[in-house]
Amino acid sequence: MPERLANRLKERRGELGLTQAELAERVGVTRKTVNTVENGVFTPSATLAIKLALALDLSVEQLFWIER
Amino acid sequence: MDDYLLGFLVGLGAVLVVAAIVKLVIRKKPMNLTEKAEYLSKRRARMLPVLAVIFLSQQAAFLSTVNSPAPHSAYSVKISAWLVLSIVILAALATKGFWLEPKEVRDLIDDENTRANRNEAMRWGFLFSMGGAIAVYALTLFDVTITARDAVHIVMTVGIPAALIRWGMLERRAHRDA
Repeated sequence: MPERLANRLKERRGELGLTQAELAERVGVTRKTVNTVENGVFTPSATLAIKLALALDLSVEQLFWIER
Repeated sequence: MDDYLLGFLVGLGAVLVVAAIVKLVIRKKPMNLTEKAEYLSKRRARMLPVLAVIFLSQQAAFLSTVNSPAPHSAYSVKISAWLVLSIVILAALATKGFWLEPKEVRDLIDDENTRANRNEAMRWGFLFSMGGAIAVYALTLFDVTITARDAVHIVMTVGIPAALIRWGMLERRAHRDA
C-alpha cells in the first residue's frame, strides 16, 4: 500500500480561527499552496513543513505523519 | 521595412498591448500582496489553456500554408510573429512570469507548489517534444521530405502546448477547494 503524508492542518487552522489565506500570509506562500498541502495533493518541503508547524504552534511530527 | 522585422514588431507589439491591459486591470483593484498573488495566480491558471489554443491555432495556420505558394512577405511576418510568441511563452514557462509586477509579488506567486507544478509541466513538454521529434524522424524513414524548419515547427507545436496545458491543469487543481 502506498505511503502518504497526512496532516492535521485544517483541524489546527480551525482551532486557531485562521483562514487558508491568513495562514498562507504567515508562512509566505499563496493560499493555493496551503490548500494543496491541506488536501494532501502536494507534499511540502521540510522548510515549508517547519514553517507551517511554527505558524500553527505545533511540532512537525504533530502536524504531519506518514499514513500507510 | 524588412518583412521579418515587421513580424517581430507585430509580435512584440501584441505582447506589450496584452501586458499593458493586464497592468491596467490590476491597478483598478486595490489589493494587498497576498491577494494580488492569489488573483494573478488564478488568472494564470485560466489563461494557460487559452494560450495553448492561441499557439496551436497559429501553428495550424502556418502548417496549412507550408506547401502553398503564399506570398513571401506574409510568410516572413507570420514566422517572426510566431517566433516572438514562442519565445515569450517559453520565457513564461521557464521564469516566474509577470515581469511587470514588483519582485515581492513575483516571488510569492512562484512559491513551492507553483515551482513543483511548473517542473512537472516542463517534464511533460520535454517528453512530448521528444515524442514529436521521434515521430518526425520516423516519417523521414518513409521517404517523407521534411525540412529542418518544418521539423522544428512540429516539435514545438507538440511540446509547448503540452507544457502549457499540463501546467494549467495542475494550477486549476491546486486552486480547487477539497
